[in-house]
Amino acid sequence: MSENKLLFNTGSLDELSQEIGEITSTEKSKLELNPDNADSGLAKLVLTLIELIRKLVEKQAMRRVDGGSLTDAEIERLGETLMKLEIKMEELKKHFNLTDSDLNINLGPLGDLM
Amino acid sequence: MHDNIIDRSKDVTILELLDRVLNKGVILTGDIVISVADVDLIYLGVKLMLSSVETMEKLKSGRYITSEKA
Amino acid sequence: MKLLIYAIVSVKDAPGTLNSLLTGMKGTSGMPLYSVPFNEVSVVVSNINSEGLNASQTDAIGYAGLIETLAQKFTLLPMRFGSVMGSTQEIADMLGKNMNEILRNLEKVEDKFEFGLKIFCDSEKVRAGLKAKSAASAKLIDKPAPEIKHSVYLDYVNQKLKEHRLEELLMAYVDSVIAEIKGTLARLNSIDKFRKTGAEKNIIDAVFLLDKNKKAELIKVVEGFKKQYPELDFILTGPWPPYSFIDITIK
Repeated sequence: MSENKLLFNTGSLDELSQEIGEITSTEKSKLELNPDNADSGLAKLVLTLIELIRKLVEKQAMRRVDGGSLTDAEIERLGETLMKLEIKMEELKKHFNLTDSDLNINLGPLGDLM
Repeated sequence: MHDNIIDRSKDVTILELLDRVLNKGVILTGDIVISVADVDLIYLGVKLMLSSVETMEKLKSGRYITSEKA
Repeated sequence: MKLLIYAIVSVKDAPGTLNSLLTGMKGTSGMPLYSVPFNEVSVVVSNINSEGLNASQTDAIGYAGLIETLAQKFTLLPMRFGSVMGSTQEIADMLGKNMNEILRNLEKVEDKFEFGLKIFCDSEKVRAGLKAKSAASAKLIDKPAPEIKHSVYLDYVNQKLKEHRLEELLMAYVDSVIAEIKGTLARLNSIDKFRKTGAEKNIIDAVFLLDKNKKAELIKVVEGFKKQYPELDFILTGPWPPYSFIDITIK
């Protein structure tokens, strides 16, 4: 590269280059399945999708609550369900040794899943 | 410390450059890959792209599941 | 033997000059660069063996460097690294089939370069600010009537609701920043793309396609953004070949 391409910068470059590195790196998001890790690999794939749907449901639920169209009893039941879903999800993640970042697959040109 | 700043600025530039040349530009095929038993099936990104051309060739022949999107 | 493709170059203005530029230039694995002409465009390629490319990061950087050298002199569409075709005939077929799309894209990027702007913020700090602002107005769900006992669930909903509202506020803030920047950049006649990343710190990822001679103006504009938004950090990079503005997937 013949010229300096960093035209303007106001942050700490150390921190920023690390951050860009994380954005650019997709190594962590490789979904690897082989005979030895078939269980956890598949679990990662499935849990990623479940987690995506769970978060969508939660977001939609909050929109409804915020919209004020639900009764107290409905909100109560919604809370119970969402809470149990989250607890269950935590158990599953623990069981398969997965972290939140494991469940955020980088889809390259499509951007992060979550 | 001055050298360090130059290094960092180079890092940022290289990362930006790699992001472009590996993730953007004209695409011949999709590149999201999942590997099963060491056989790459769906590609996801940078690291894989670097060793992926043979697979991309195969992807082009349509034998694997591909997901493509510009 | 296969061909590694670097770029689709417009040669309508200066046919012939491309080949003299390519003379002596070496591509990936040190193989010489040459061009495959087809009507108004030429495809720059080098040979690779049929095993495919056993490439490293250095190769990718070198590849991008060559595209950049070409972009100094010609209007072009950069290829994604690792684009391989089987033969010059295959390339000619591909060009023939996609010529309209290719010409449309070349016209769009003619005499333009791409610039990248990444915007960072300490989202905790911004969240805290938004929280304070919204605290007065945000009214959470009231405690339920006494006959409903499991209020732990209601607390849970209230907690989630708080997070949800904060997230919405943050998104609205990001949208307002984007709108402001878009408006200012309209002066430079740029084509832009904005992406809300949803990440903790890098909140906006933007690219602009600008006339080649507007670099200095763009820098000034971004300096202005920093004054306007002291809580945000900006990284502006470029000029780049128009990687992010190609909307074509060649079949």
